[in-house]
Amino acid sequence: MLKKIEDLNYYELLEVSPRATSQEIHKAYERIRKIYDPNSIALYSLFSPDETEKIRQRVEEAYRTLIYEENRRMYDLSLRDYLDELPPQEQPPARPVSATPVQPSHPSSVPPASPPMPSPAAYAAPAPAAPAPVPPPPVAALPVQPPPQDIAEFSGTVLRMLREQRGMTIQNVADTTKLSARYLECIEEENFAKLPARPYLRGFLVNYAKALGYEPDRIAADFLKRYDAFKNPPKK
Amino acid sequence: MIELQEALRKKEIWAIGGGKGGIGKSLITGNIGITLARLKKKVLLVDADLGGANLHTTLGIGVPEMTLSDFLNRRVETIQEVIIKTAIPNLSLISGAQDFLDAANPNFAQKTRLLRHLETLDADYILLDLGAGTSFNILDFFLFSDHGILVVLPEPTAIENAYRFIKSAFYRRFKKVVTNQNVKDLIDAAMDQKNSMGIRTPVDLIERVKSMEKEVGEILELEVSTFRPKLIVNQVRTKNDVQIGFSMKSACQKYFGINLEYLGYVEYDDCVWQSIRSKRPLVIEYPYSRPARCIERVVHNLLRKEQMTLSMLY
Ligand SMILES: Nc1ncnc2c1ncn2[C@@H]1O[C@H](COP(=O)(O)OP(=O)(O)O)[C@@H](O)[C@H]1O
Ligand SMILES: [Mg+2]
Repeated sequence: MLKKIEDLNYYELLEVSPRATSQEIHKAYERIRKIYDPNSIALYSLFSPDETEKIRQRVEEAYRTLIYEENRRMYDLSLRDYLDELPPQEQPPARPVSATPVQPSHPSSVPPASPPMPSPAAYAAPAPAAPAPVPPPPVAALPVQPPPQDIAEFSGTVLRMLREQRGMTIQNVADTTKLSARYLECIEEENFAKLPARPYLRGFLVNYAKALGYEPDRIAADFLKRYDAFKNPPKK
Repeated sequence: MIELQEALRKKEIWAIGGGKGGIGKSLITGNIGITLARLKKKVLLVDADLGGANLHTTLGIGVPEMTLSDFLNRRVETIQEVIIKTAIPNLSLISGAQDFLDAANPNFAQKTRLLRHLETLDADYILLDLGAGTSFNILDFFLFSDHGILVVLPEPTAIENAYRFIKSAFYRRFKKVVTNQNVKDLIDAAMDQKNSMGIRTPVDLIERVKSMEKEVGEILELEVSTFRPKLIVNQVRTKNDVQIGFSMKSACQKYFGINLEYLGYVEYDDCVWQSIRSKRPLVIEYPYSRPARCIERVVHNLLRKEQMTLSMLY
């Protein structure tokens, strides 16, 4: 169903599912804010400056409503028809009322916790105005793709090659994965004796593969096979 | 099961357009083709830029003897006769017409014959490199294909052209599905951004059509939801440039109501023109360069999409 921009509900506006967690809503808000930057060259030929400004204002409104558990619940009530029409798997699960509502990252900008507002009329009053919270620095996440199909086995050497192809240093990977550079070196050198127990190693490999932008499963499995062969050498 | 295998083997036609010249359409088409061919797919590239054919250059091939115009002007009977084998296994080419004067604007019969013959060819992928602009011929090739891919540069003019291309393409698609002349006229009028009826967006247009003929409006609504062009941002130099793809996707959703799929971006690098100058294809001459890796990623995204939709059949 096509809608005019002014008819989009807050979820549609932020481009998130009505089941989104507050973390996802926060991320979406940052993303949309960046997209509807008044200076974006991707907008001016479709939207007038006024229209862009209006979208920005509504995005702020949407964020401030959805990020507070209580406000969001009231809002969801007002959207009941829309939410009821969602396909079954999209049905928002009843969100448990948590004792500690999720707070935006910057406590200084959090308005006083709003009292419970059971009546829809109360909802109509806008949430107390708050200065826009400063978003935390974005997490750089490469979209993952399947690892190159033409590689027969992902050994430590191959991993190093892939990393170098990406123009990344050990330190870059260490920074994104929060793994120690020493362990990463041990992986690339297949210094199996110095590597931690299998379940930990698997976690390391998954993070390493993702930092390179690859789906981790095949990479981790291949490397672990080599690790297992080292730990349990075939009996003579 | 057999049917499913048939479906899996079905050939796909991809068109690469963008509304503007010199933005890398041919470069990207050629190198996507090579990448697919190396994945053991049977690929046919067609230079459908009937005004400035240069796809052969991105493949490092000189001006070919047989071109599309030999087919269009019936100097040969079947399209097979103008297919050129390239040095790359699995990759062949139909080169663009060099005598633009008569070929740049094939008439309706020529165009229909071309499309009909393309459909008979045996290939996994047929890639059409489209010319610049939004002429009916170009739009029709784009709409005819299974996947329409738009190339854009992170520059205002290229983006404006891309939006114009999108709008022209799906208003043309609208016109193909309606029969009522009044509705057709309305669509034509709506193409003009500053029309006197206050129709700015496709949503406005559909609303107006619904007030004339409800069912027709609903058909158009369906057309919008099934029109899913794809986007590649070329000559990317900064993170902000990468971001433009996401911005265009969101803007298209909110303004046109259409789902623009952001396939990926290709970084700017001097090795691109070096490869063109030395007449060697980019992904072969500089396989580990950043633009080559980007193109690989675009291909993976395209292929994975195909698998993702097919896996829903199971
Ligand atoms: N990613 C890129 N990095 C550097 N130069 C590029 C890139 N993409 C395209 N170019 C340059 O732009 C020129 C035009 O590309 P081309 O594919 O012929 O455009 P089109 O087919 O859209 O007219 C190329 O010859 C090349 O020099
Ligand atoms: Mg070209």
